[in-house]
Amino acid sequence: MLRHLLHRLRIAGSIAACAVFLFPVFWMALTSFKQQRDVFTSPPKLFFTPTIETYTTYLRFADVPGRMLNTVIVAVGAGLVSIIAGSMAGYALARIPLRGARTIGTLILLSRGVPPIALAVPMFLVARNLDITDKHITLILAYCTFLIPYVMWLMRGFFKSLPKELEESAIIDGCSRFGAFFRIIVPISLPGILSTFIFSIILAWEELLFALVLTNRNAVTAPVAVAGIAADMLNGVNWGALTAVGTITVLPVVFFALLVQKWLIKGLADGATKG
Amino acid sequence: MAPAFLILLAVLAYPILYTVEISFSELDLATFLPSEWVGWDNYETVLTDERFWHSLKVTGIYLAFAMPLQMVLGFAIAFLVNAEWRGRGLIRALFLIPMVVAPVVAGGLWRMMLDPLWGITNYLLGLLGVGPLDWFGDATLAMATIVLIDTWRWTPFVTLIATAGLLSLPQDVFEAAEIDGANWWVMLRHITLPLLVPIIAAAFVVRWLGAVKMFDIVLASTLGGPGRATNVINLFIYQEAFRGLKFAESAAMSVVVLIITMVLTAIFLRASRQLEARY
Repeated sequence: MLRHLLHRLRIAGSIAACAVFLFPVFWMALTSFKQQRDVFTSPPKLFFTPTIETYTTYLRFADVPGRMLNTVIVAVGAGLVSIIAGSMAGYALARIPLRGARTIGTLILLSRGVPPIALAVPMFLVARNLDITDKHITLILAYCTFLIPYVMWLMRGFFKSLPKELEESAIIDGCSRFGAFFRIIVPISLPGILSTFIFSIILAWEELLFALVLTNRNAVTAPVAVAGIAADMLNGVNWGALTAVGTITVLPVVFFALLVQKWLIKGLADGATKG
Repeated sequence: MAPAFLILLAVLAYPILYTVEISFSELDLATFLPSEWVGWDNYETVLTDERFWHSLKVTGIYLAFAMPLQMVLGFAIAFLVNAEWRGRGLIRALFLIPMVVAPVVAGGLWRMMLDPLWGITNYLLGLLGVGPLDWFGDATLAMATIVLIDTWRWTPFVTLIATAGLLSLPQDVFEAAEIDGANWWVMLRHITLPLLVPIIAAAFVVRWLGAVKMFDIVLASTLGGPGRATNVINLFIYQEAFRGLKFAESAAMSVVVLIITMVLTAIFLRASRQLEARY
């Protein structure tokens, strides 16, 4: 009886916690459909006549489509580079007997703790001197600093969990190491590779510091636009712009995250706990 | 293997070495190149700068409150979420949503919700007879604000790791103990906790790696204010470098922060591995 009640309480608790954590996102999306006069009210309005005015106004005003496109280019580009380079390196770390593989592993994990600000200053100076600021490729390379170690770590753990016999038999059959990797390992690891790829894109999608430092007009990303609106201390925050641009920034990633949620949950949890 | 290391050398190792070089030089703002070697001068300037120490302290306070709070909440919610029923998968999936909200958006949207005049938080607190609270105007409350926003954004991440970890616990051990008549305290103390320690340690390390990078949320919510009350170290270095154009001093600060972070990360990693080995 007591056990049954506890079970019920746990379920109720989990639903309540979920609601609390989702409410801010819901509230942001809701506010983005409000007219100015429905935003600043006390008590706050839950019901109102919805409008897409904020979207039509601010999308053009802040060049949101252009910035979204930049974000897509940079995030997908950085995701691609790091998944290719990172999973090959992760495979090497997992399988090829190397002296110091353990040290390299620790170094990779340590490098994930490098504060981005320590990289942002020299990157800005170098990019300026090479005249490559405000370009997509610069941002893509900058994002590799944190994506590649992350992918390497996740994929190393993933490849380690595969049985060795798979590629051994392929190599005996005359496959090269590379051949075995691409023909045997990659196809069966596709779910893992894909979820890591998507998570890399999400991480690149929401990055702010490097984008703030390395872009100023042509390659500006959505988070920079949001930061510009939120940190506008002179005019105060424009709630309409903030909620509209914020919702648009968040929507694609939420969609993708939910689409691949099973893999994502497993990939994230494994990546964190398996060393 | 090779391509990854080449890229990492170019975009990770080289910038770090370059930071070290700049930190010992004077930076010519006409060419944006390090010009003269000035030895420890920049470090002396930085280490005697009271604002630098203040930012380190603020970062420390943030970490000291946010990390334990998120760990406890994350594991507690994971315990709730793991209750077996039809909707469990859905709940777990929905918990992904705050996790993928860009931190800068999180900061911005909470700035709206916590607005002293029109924010819904103060309205709801008002119904309970609390407030109105000036979330951004009071130094202590502003710190609570960034801890709150950060906790909202990151607790689901801890929850996710914890749910997976809790589900992987061997159930037969618990059943055996129950049959042997162990009470809940004995089970918690001698079975659950030892089994949980490696998971907690791993979650802690991963969370730590993210928490030391705290920047976006502060930038979008309090902007380091009021005064310097929430000016975390990453924001301070950013402002000094890109607003104040003091690149050499910023480089010196970055090196100091880098060393502190690396040492602490190494300690935590070591501790977590030892804990894993012990249990």
